[in-house]
Amino acid sequence: MIDPGWERNVTRRGFVAAGAATAFLAACGGSSDSSSDDKGDSADKAKGPAKLAGTLHYYNWADYVNPETYKAFTTDTGVKIKKDFFVSNEELQAKLQGGARGFDLAAPTGYMVQILADAGLLEELNWSQLPTVEKNLDARFRKLPYDPDDKWSVPKDWGTTGFVYRSDLVKEKPTTWREFVDLTKGPYSGKVTVLDGIPECVGSMLCMLGYSYNSEDEGEIDKAKQELIDLKPHLLAITSTEYKQMLIDGKAVMALGWNGDGAAVAAKKPAEYVIAEEGGEFWVDAYVIPAGAKNPDAAHGWIDYVYEPKHNSLETEFTYYGSPVKRDLLEPVMDKKVFGNEDVFPPENTLEKLEPNAVTPEGTKLRDRAWTEFKAA
Amino acid sequence: VAVAAPSEPKRRRAETRAGAGGPRYPAWLSLPALAWYVAFFVCPLGIMAVFSFSRREGFTDIVYDFNLENYKDLVDPLYGHVFTRTLGLAAVGTIATLVIGFPLAYYLARWAKHKTLLLLLVVVPFWTSILIRTYAWLIIFDPDFPVIGGLNLLYTTKAVYIGVVYTYLPLMVLPLYAALERLDWSLVEAAEDLGDGPLRAFRRITLPLAAPGIVAGSLLVFIPLMGEYLNPVLLGGDKTIYAGNLIGQQFLLSRDWPFGSAIAMVLILSMTVVVFVYSRMASREEAYGG
Repeated sequence: MIDPGWERNVTRRGFVAAGAATAFLAACGGSSDSSSDDKGDSADKAKGPAKLAGTLHYYNWADYVNPETYKAFTTDTGVKIKKDFFVSNEELQAKLQGGARGFDLAAPTGYMVQILADAGLLEELNWSQLPTVEKNLDARFRKLPYDPDDKWSVPKDWGTTGFVYRSDLVKEKPTTWREFVDLTKGPYSGKVTVLDGIPECVGSMLCMLGYSYNSEDEGEIDKAKQELIDLKPHLLAITSTEYKQMLIDGKAVMALGWNGDGAAVAAKKPAEYVIAEEGGEFWVDAYVIPAGAKNPDAAHGWIDYVYEPKHNSLETEFTYYGSPVKRDLLEPVMDKKVFGNEDVFPPENTLEKLEPNAVTPEGTKLRDRAWTEFKAA
Repeated sequence: VAVAAPSEPKRRRAETRAGAGGPRYPAWLSLPALAWYVAFFVCPLGIMAVFSFSRREGFTDIVYDFNLENYKDLVDPLYGHVFTRTLGLAAVGTIATLVIGFPLAYYLARWAKHKTLLLLLVVVPFWTSILIRTYAWLIIFDPDFPVIGGLNLLYTTKAVYIGVVYTYLPLMVLPLYAALERLDWSLVEAAEDLGDGPLRAFRRITLPLAAPGIVAGSLLVFIPLMGEYLNPVLLGGDKTIYAGNLIGQQFLLSRDWPFGSAIAMVLILSMTVVVFVYSRMASREEAYGG
């Protein structure tokens, strides 16, 4: 917040898309693409896009949108934008559940889309107002398990959870969680951070131990917890929002974090983002319209607007998170360096190792307890 | 947690005064404040009490079947540990602000020439958001910062304690000053004239007369400290949790509102007991002092 990099401080704190990776990895299934054509009925389509006006109240992760996009959208459509920010999916849920109304658009992570939809806290999308999405959305990102009928959400972007290290300050070239942990307890003690996220930390340790990211086995979670507790004296901080700047400043040399932040660090300083060999998390963040939205037309307008490949490229170049727009449409318009960056668009064989967050209330309860013990240690 | 509790001793004192034959004010003057407290303190407290006996189901649903599970879950060395740590922070914070604040308040009340200006300086920090002031400490603790940076305090428990003393110091100084300001210094001089050394005069005259200020200041610091949230997160790097962080975690991360409510209720109840006992003890002292 105080550092010079504040304007680029992508403080996204996601947990994940229930089952998304499976669907995602069944890549290029063409059938779902064609079926989406019959979604908007022709009568609606004839009306064309709704006339946009008023204000769009956008509730989002902080600095998760290219400021250029805000400006261009307002210039092009006349819709003003009011911004509010949350730091976790759970905070978004807590606000909506507590009765907060009037948000037109939000961008939670997949698993939270499902929770919000089940709780009746979302408005259904009107696909006749999303012709550009219809045209440009990559088939792999349709009908994801957290929203099997594409009823509530449109993917915003996607990413992974792994670790980042400053390649000029860490010479060991770690590629596994075990190495990450050993280096933290060893030469880089006091210079490593982890996310302030329960599923990310516990899940990553579970992967390291050879278990599933979504394990619900009490014994397995217990072992993951012990790994975290042993790691704690060697951590600089537990943070989801500050680690990027700490890495850039060199106060931290390694961090358990998200790929977009890793790529953003690498854009400024020599750094590597690693998807650990033992596995990790894959997630999708998605646009939703919260219940009680005052200007759903503007929300649809925004989603459709950013699905222009040109606009979407701007987003990716800013957040360094993967774009759900068809790859061939992005190629001509996106910065070559970002387009070919494997931290932003990891190759298929890397993604195969990853799992989306799909824990149940029971699994969450075990993780919460483990987290409290970790924090209280 | 902290909002209403400090008013407890004040309200009691006001009653005493009215009872002592002071002027009687029309009671309806308190209606706006009363309405405010009922709507925004008593009601939420009631809701929380109900929550604390309910149970979370799935990710979002709260089932209202009166049960004591949340309280039973709290009987656990893990939470005892967090409470003890919080108690330590609150106690050390209160004592440290008292030790640092008392000489300042004493100087301000007895000798300072530019009282208004100095008092203003004590209050000035309140003009800036607590969040920004706490972030400013991050710069001071930064390893690159001259002198202090070399102490490597950033994201340590020591940093949390320093931040806490800084944050709460004015809350201690102001009531201390108010008490010492009213003190009749000729009493101290009389004691000294009659053979008391300065220390003895301080113990027998100044300290008892300053007691109401010490009580008020201690409560103003101790109670919010039991719910302290910000300093551990920002200056401690969120590595160590205190009761406030534990409650925040239940509400925002775990989304277990019933369990979070139970922790909050236990905290509120124990604070009420502390305030009650403390103000009883203090009022006895006050009686001596008066």
